[in-house]
Amino acid sequence: MQSYGDESRPLSALSLPSRIVIGTAASGIAVAVLIHLAMMFLHVAPSNTLSRQQSALISDYVYPEYEQNWKLFAPNPLQQNTAVQVRAHLRDQDGTVRTTGWTDLSARDGQAILHNPLPSHTQQNQLRRGWELLSGTLDAKNTPTGERGGMFARYFRRIVMLRMSGEWTRGGARVEEIQLRAQTTAVLPPPWSGEKISDRPVYRVLPWWRITAGDLPEGATNQ
Amino acid sequence: MTSPTPQQPHTAPGATGAPAATEEPPAYQETRIERAIGRGLARVSARALAPYQTAVIRIGFAGTWLLFLLREWPNRQELYGPAGPFDFTMVRQLLTGNHGFSLLLWSGSGGWFECVYLLALAAAALLMLGWRTRTMSVLFMVGVLSLQNRSVFVGDGGDNVLHLMSMYLVLTRCGQVWSLDARRARRAAAAGVPDRGPDSPRDLPGIVLWAVLGLALAAAQVAGAPGLTWFGHGPFPHIGWSLALWGLWAAHGLWWAVRRHAPGEPRTVLDTLTVLAHNAGLLVIMVEVCLVYATAGWYKIQGSRWQDGTAVYYPLHLDYFSPWPGLSQLLGGTGLSVMLITYGTVIVQVAFPFTVFNRRLKNALLVVMVCEHLSIAFLLGLPFFSLAMITADLVFLPTNFLTWFGGRCSALRRRFRPAGAPAPDRAAGRSPAEAAAGSGGDGPTLVG
Repeated sequence: MQSYGDESRPLSALSLPSRIVIGTAASGIAVAVLIHLAMMFLHVAPSNTLSRQQSALISDYVYPEYEQNWKLFAPNPLQQNTAVQVRAHLRDQDGTVRTTGWTDLSARDGQAILHNPLPSHTQQNQLRRGWELLSGTLDAKNTPTGERGGMFARYFRRIVMLRMSGEWTRGGARVEEIQLRAQTTAVLPPPWSGEKISDRPVYRVLPWWRITAGDLPEGATNQ
Repeated sequence: MTSPTPQQPHTAPGATGAPAATEEPPAYQETRIERAIGRGLARVSARALAPYQTAVIRIGFAGTWLLFLLREWPNRQELYGPAGPFDFTMVRQLLTGNHGFSLLLWSGSGGWFECVYLLALAAAALLMLGWRTRTMSVLFMVGVLSLQNRSVFVGDGGDNVLHLMSMYLVLTRCGQVWSLDARRARRAAAAGVPDRGPDSPRDLPGIVLWAVLGLALAAAQVAGAPGLTWFGHGPFPHIGWSLALWGLWAAHGLWWAVRRHAPGEPRTVLDTLTVLAHNAGLLVIMVEVCLVYATAGWYKIQGSRWQDGTAVYYPLHLDYFSPWPGLSQLLGGTGLSVMLITYGTVIVQVAFPFTVFNRRLKNALLVVMVCEHLSIAFLLGLPFFSLAMITADLVFLPTNFLTWFGGRCSALRRRFRPAGAPAPDRAAGRSPAEAAAGSGGDGPTLVG
């Protein structure tokens, strides 16, 4: 099953049925390769006449297994740092409710990445991409919308609770609600460029979210 | 390889890539086009091209995934587990919508998750070593798809490369050299054991592996595991994962049976079909790498920062991509060096797909790109992405270099081998592929 025969032999030495089989297979494979490569090209190329006309056909072929995005730092690299910060309403054992200070989760990721030759996806991608997904579904009032908005919001609450619940509930407090805000700071242009932009952070503050049992991944607790 | 010259990308199989016919006394009254097609077909059906390059990318992609899985071992629950932030109900909702394939959809239990993670680890390790390469490449693909589709939102470009290449590798005979399979075949050949016909070894481990995998697939099929449809969503439209996986399973069985019981023409036909699939997969891999660079380069050209020569400055100042801020600031410190790297990156990426037709230029650009990815691995803290991209680049390495490299490794290994111990890899000297191809002269030494 695993030995590789690789002797060369002229196809013309084979019987007619064998040649028909090989010829048919070769044509089929050639057509399949051409179709596949055309689909891959149309998927990665900018939106054009053909890909707009055949968009349903292309996405049916490409998704989910051949999806790809090679716009690496293109057309322009990201020029801002987004830090996701979180705080909570905690109910202490005596019933009083207090509000925690803001915790910068992205800064913690940054600390974990600093001087780390092998950053984990949990440090480099989880929160960063989670926020990208969530912020894409937020409406003008910063409420998640659409079919996926609710899912991404719950996903993000679970990321937050996994990281923060230990600290918040240490003194026996119960996590009632959490609030997110994103602090976006522009990367200042290089000193030699002469461009002037503000490096004042811009905040996007989301409404308070109630924490329920569904927001607790394994290893997290709300009390 | 037929010729001692390095395998050139433009000699890769292609439906359209047949060279124009030269003057020759025609045996039949064929037209030029018919002759060209005939030659092209003869070329791509004669042998599995680029044995060393496909072996290198097999080792590279499987190794990258193996290292990644080991790195994330402590975080595996958080990234892919049923009770992690992206929990089982969410992944079911997502994959029901987009029809991605994942074994982890079959059950939400923690034990099943651990099994799948271990399976992915084992398949990656064994594919890297080249043990039962064709079977392991299928399991490797299943492992990659299962984990990545389970949690698409934690992946990055490196995961994307591995995702595509794990599927393309299934088509290739990527264990012809530098694999345990090749070593076994070489030893059998040296011992005079026939590799076909009724006297050939029955290959018990292969039969057991095949039977176990068939039973497992049958059990999943009978239990109605999600994603196992015949003509639903699968690797291709209207070819479901059931059809694809059972097809691969049947093909393995057929190859075994034909090799043993019909070693003549049926075996030759089957072998030719396998060679055609290999060469098609190789072409797809090469074009895919070119598409990556073409897209990356062409989109960059449209960006103002890449035009004004400051683009490289910005990633070096992103908190998520600067594990060594001091070094990043040093590199991004002078305008001229940032501009040269910015322009150089675009030039290399845009040019690469065209240089594959020129051996010297291609090799020079390969060196540049491998170096660039090495620095990305370190400076931007993206080691697994870089490793996957470097591996993808290596499919374009010249055969001369690879055989030289293999020889160096063998020499190094012999030096550390205890004196007097036999070096079995020298027994036959050459892989069956080479022996059959008759590449003459000093047969390159192989790494077992």
